[in-house]
Amino acid sequence: MDPQSQTTSLQRLQNVEKRIVRVLELAGGVMDEMASQSGPRKEIANNHCSEFMQLIKDIQFALREEIKSACEYRPFEKCDYVPRISNEICYKKLEYVIAQLDEMKQTMEGYRNAA
Amino acid sequence: MTRPKQLPNELLSDLAVSTATKLQCFWHLGKYFKQSAAALEKQVAREARFYGALIRLQQNWKVKRHRLVAAASGNAGFFIDLFYNTLYDTSVSLRPSSMSTIPIEHDAAGMLAVNVPPNSCRSLRFEFLGSHSANNVRRSGETNMHAFSEDSSTETNKEHANDDECVRKTHSLLREVHRAIFDEQVFELVSREACNSSLSVNLTGIQENYLRLSINQGASVSISLLLSSQDNKTDIVSGTNSSETETIPSELSDWSKFREGKDNVKKLGFPNRISFEIYLQQLFHEYVFVRAKDKTSSSFRSLISGQQSKDNLNILDHFCMSLAHSIFSNKVLSELESLVCRTPYVQLISHPTWHSRTSSWTLSMKVPQSILHVGSQILSSGISNVKNVRSQFWSKVVVIDESISVEGVGDLNVVGLFNGKPESICPINRYECDLADLPIILLQQVASQVIQWLHEEALTVGIKVTRDFLSLAFELDHGEIASLVAHVDPEDTRGCISWWLMMDDGITENHKLHPDLSIGESESRKFLGHLSLDVLYSTLLDFVNLCSC
Repeated sequence: MDPQSQTTSLQRLQNVEKRIVRVLELAGGVMDEMASQSGPRKEIANNHCSEFMQLIKDIQFALREEIKSACEYRPFEKCDYVPRISNEICYKKLEYVIAQLDEMKQTMEGYRNAA
Repeated sequence: MTRPKQLPNELLSDLAVSTATKLQCFWHLGKYFKQSAAALEKQVAREARFYGALIRLQQNWKVKRHRLVAAASGNAGFFIDLFYNTLYDTSVSLRPSSMSTIPIEHDAAGMLAVNVPPNSCRSLRFEFLGSHSANNVRRSGETNMHAFSEDSSTETNKEHANDDECVRKTHSLLREVHRAIFDEQVFELVSREACNSSLSVNLTGIQENYLRLSINQGASVSISLLLSSQDNKTDIVSGTNSSETETIPSELSDWSKFREGKDNVKKLGFPNRISFEIYLQQLFHEYVFVRAKDKTSSSFRSLISGQQSKDNLNILDHFCMSLAHSIFSNKVLSELESLVCRTPYVQLISHPTWHSRTSSWTLSMKVPQSILHVGSQILSSGISNVKNVRSQFWSKVVVIDESISVEGVGDLNVVGLFNGKPESICPINRYECDLADLPIILLQQVASQVIQWLHEEALTVGIKVTRDFLSLAFELDHGEIASLVAHVDPEDTRGCISWWLMMDDGITENHKLHPDLSIGESESRKFLGHLSLDVLYSTLLDFVNLCSC
């Protein structure tokens, strides 16, 4: 996936979710304003509403981008299960060789101590 | 009747009440939105952890989704697919094991959790029957199998660390299962090949997860699938009874038993079982999974099927032949070692052949530097026939499958004998022999190489000599002939090659000198002992004084 503003797709979707949460908070804030005893403060209510609309636009934009780029993702094209098993076999070989080398070292030390 | 018109103060109070109600509604809405925001944030955080872990796993494993299951149950329906079918042969396709799809679940804290039943992973085990106690101590460090779930913690730092831990544990669990599936597939393929009739594989026992084969060199091996819980204990297999019961694991108790078993292994010439276990896995992996596309390439077929190119490539055959070869070449090597131990001027060099059914060694004899130095001094004192005398001789032993072939420089060249010229080329003869004859043949070759060398040196120095198979005859004054005769005895513990001096004064009846050493020492033959090359060379130089040249 090409890095758009250096974030992964998952991070972009997480940002969308965070914006949705923020949108809800703003809605709550506007309601609070409307419910206040002394009447709503116009600037604050306006700010909240404009931020709300901006976030909705951002959400729409991000989702559209993600949905478009999701079509390019082809799963399991290069499955690495076979090299993975090669790797496991190599690991076992290494373990074995290390054990042999340890034995050789012990033999050498045995001779050195005996000499 | 219509409603009476309301008075202004009644209108105002109605308005005040409805305004207050609306304000209340707004307030409630505000609270509702804020609570939803908080709950959504928590939900988003939980799912972010789950999907973050899932994405990390997806980098290494195939994650798939059952959409119908997702709709039905509360679970998202994700699972990990660990199955990879081989393209080896369409008729030899492997069934996906029950372990290959692993469901992904949520644990208590909403984090990703993978549950695998505890005793479901088996591993392939290869063993020699008859040498259990030595080689059955399993390597430590095998991962334990149990369900991993992440413990819920509150702090975010701890959560990150726990998330990493959780993903790592899940990953190693999946590795374990993946490896277990591969081992099961290998066992299945081995069973199929073993049940088909073949040349060098004899199936002598079969049980549910256990196969017993007998190999050419009198060895019996078992290939089995064991649960990981059984690995920490040794298995005792009653190898002789055909109606045996299931293997019974028991504990390894005695260190002395372990050492004794190890010595037995050395005597029997068995190679290390772990190396052959790895080799079995590697063979099947390489030729079934990796090279499935190349199955028609000729080099690949010839490696597996030997000289004849069969249509069905029997990997197990190749494996058993490699095993037999390994046991046999260990026996050859121990013979060579015992020979070389007792012959101080011969070195044993082994050559890696990078082929599992071929081994090769060289017995090399080098003339020591001191002699070469002396030789060059003599040469520089003005003798005319300056020749390059060979200073290194070798004999090569090659074992292919279970046949030995020996080749070397220094064999007798019949034509060269008649000519009396040493520079006639000694052909490199090569011939086959079997294990019982190998010591004698090699020793004879080495002895004849020594004789050859002495012959060349003698001619360089200017002595008149003639050469026979294992003897060098010097012509002395008055027609007497003194012979240096080599005697080879592979059983001699003090040294394999010993030397005799024989005198023939030309008058007695037997002109041909028979090294008939059963007579023992007498007037005409004297035992010199096991001489080094230095001593032989100085003996040669002593003859310079005695010979008329």
